[in-house]
Amino acid sequence: METLLANLGHGFVVAFSFQNLLFALIGALIGTAIGVLPGIGPVATISLLLPITFGQPATTAIIMLAGIYYGAQYGGSTTAILLNLPGEISSVVTTLEGYKMARNGRAGAALATSALGSFFAGTVATILVAASGPLLTSVALSFGPADYFSLMLLGLIISAVLAQGSVLKSVAMVVLGVALGLVGTDVQTGQQRFTFGVPELSDGIGFVSVAMGMFGIAEIILNLEKPEAREVLSAKVGSLFLTKEEFRRATPAVLRGTILGSVLGILPGGGAALAAFGAYMLERKVSKGRHLFGTGAIEGVAGPEAANNAAAQTSFIPLLTLGIPANAVMALMGGALIIQGIQPGPRMVEAQPDLFWGLIASMWIGNVMLLVINLPMIGMWVKLLQVPYKYLYPSILIFCCIGVYSLNNNVFDVYQTILFAIFGVICNKLKMEPAPLLIGFVLGPMMEEHLRRAMLLSRGDPTVFLERPISASMLAIGAVVLGAMLLPNLRKGKDAALSG
Amino acid sequence: MKINQKDLASGILLVLVAVVGAYLNMDHNLGSARRMGPGYMPLLVFGIQGGIGVLVLLIGLFNGPDPMEKWSGVDSKSLVAAVFGGLIAWQLSLRLGGDFFTSGYNAMGFGMMIGFFIMCWAQGWRLMGFVCASLCVFALLLEKGGLVLATVGTVVVASLADTQHVKKPLGVAGLTIFLVALCWWIFIKQLDIRVAVWPQF
Repeated sequence: METLLANLGHGFVVAFSFQNLLFALIGALIGTAIGVLPGIGPVATISLLLPITFGQPATTAIIMLAGIYYGAQYGGSTTAILLNLPGEISSVVTTLEGYKMARNGRAGAALATSALGSFFAGTVATILVAASGPLLTSVALSFGPADYFSLMLLGLIISAVLAQGSVLKSVAMVVLGVALGLVGTDVQTGQQRFTFGVPELSDGIGFVSVAMGMFGIAEIILNLEKPEAREVLSAKVGSLFLTKEEFRRATPAVLRGTILGSVLGILPGGGAALAAFGAYMLERKVSKGRHLFGTGAIEGVAGPEAANNAAAQTSFIPLLTLGIPANAVMALMGGALIIQGIQPGPRMVEAQPDLFWGLIASMWIGNVMLLVINLPMIGMWVKLLQVPYKYLYPSILIFCCIGVYSLNNNVFDVYQTILFAIFGVICNKLKMEPAPLLIGFVLGPMMEEHLRRAMLLSRGDPTVFLERPISASMLAIGAVVLGAMLLPNLRKGKDAALSG
Repeated sequence: MKINQKDLASGILLVLVAVVGAYLNMDHNLGSARRMGPGYMPLLVFGIQGGIGVLVLLIGLFNGPDPMEKWSGVDSKSLVAAVFGGLIAWQLSLRLGGDFFTSGYNAMGFGMMIGFFIMCWAQGWRLMGFVCASLCVFALLLEKGGLVLATVGTVVVASLADTQHVKKPLGVAGLTIFLVALCWWIFIKQLDIRVAVWPQF
């Protein structure tokens, strides 16, 4: 406990440096902005800004990128409540009760609930990350290569199972991602694999090109296909204060949402969107105001909003302690760390205490900033919505171009991005989810390395994966999860939960 | 039998990639389970992928109907024209185009750009064509033409994708000037990326 406080204190010293405070604020502002704007999400934004972070120290870079992710959770709820327009996938369920509350003249209360609930959840999640980080790290250090392999396999299975749409196709996308990760120089023999003699491919396919193509550019093409329907309305925000009755009903919902969100955030493949859906389903079943759902129940705002913010923060735990990204955003964070020369994993807490504790402290500071950014300045963000998409998309495109190019100062990366943009559009048309592909792409090379090492240690005996208790239990959980998805009832439940 | 066209196409795509991948993988040494060679993991991955692809394909024969968007005659014609036009433009520019096209990926990029512009002819490909072409314009112009010219080219071509823009060229002009200034300020002034600002001769 004392060391925890001392470490957190150290983190606050790091986070309170002028530069880190400034970039936490920039991250929070950008996050809120893209949260408010529909059509651009955290994955695209973070991959866009990744090249910009190269010049900064690693801690500052990660603090800013993290701010974008949890900032988007705050911003997304604003438009969901005021305009019935989810700025992020994770705030889709907030529209259900939040917009009804706004129409009842309680928009201010809904916004305050969402911001305060998010803040509370963010605080709890920060403490959770701080407390569980070193604990999990010490466990992770006893992991052998076989355990790592099974853990990553479990991560891939869960991320495929929890993705939207067909589980089988999501598994296929994961495998396709692993296959893409094979391109490049074989680490152990130095042989070129699938590079077709292109020198730029010998380091593998660029991670930013894949993310930016499939999430950034492809998204633009698909958004342009839909006609723009944005109802610009000057909704009255009203009083931001909650009545006593509202406060009494929202509090337990926030607590439940925080707990559920924290748990779902840690799960591989989980994250903010899943947590919000889960919390909404939970509130509809157990809250005292469940009979009011559909007419603007405050629980339906408080629970999901607390959950998505808690999950956005706890999803850092697997990356920071095990080096395994739980979702696409975390895969990007891991990419940012690797580019900075830091291998995310159990040794990071020891080797990079500034980064680890500074990030945790900055999460809390960022949440305080977001509270200020969002509640009193709400009108400014609503105005942002009046910028039409026809002006936004050329701007996003040019930023993508310069960003991708400046990665290696090579136009090859731009052409590569074009190919992945087209592939992203094809995947969307065929209802194949891009998110599992990205996770497979990141984890694939690590899995190969651990597989080879495990088999070398066991002298070619594959039963090593079943003999080691950690590995065996991971595989068992994976098998159960996959098996459960074959049950038609569960599958229907998942579809209902994910389609809102 | 209710055919799910989307699943069917996904299955074919997966199997195709797996077969091509496994074929290319024949160059790599498999090694043994104990000492895996560079070809071991790819074979495993493509094997699994092919298996899943076949499953998706088989299930796709029954769990439909989920038809794909219909292609018009112009759509398919322009796609064929784009592929051939692009390939011809690539090879011609490589052989006849001089220094600019023989260096780096410029000839390939030029071919891609021509291909994407041909795609824009069909209504179904217009958006993708202009957006991708604008990226090609950027890649072609940046190193010789500098950041300003590349930004102008990219923004103008990208704006063609939106029909509202075509009617209001003044808005595009304003946007272009704003973005040139913004990109210069962020990328040259603040971040100092190594890129020429003005054309290089």
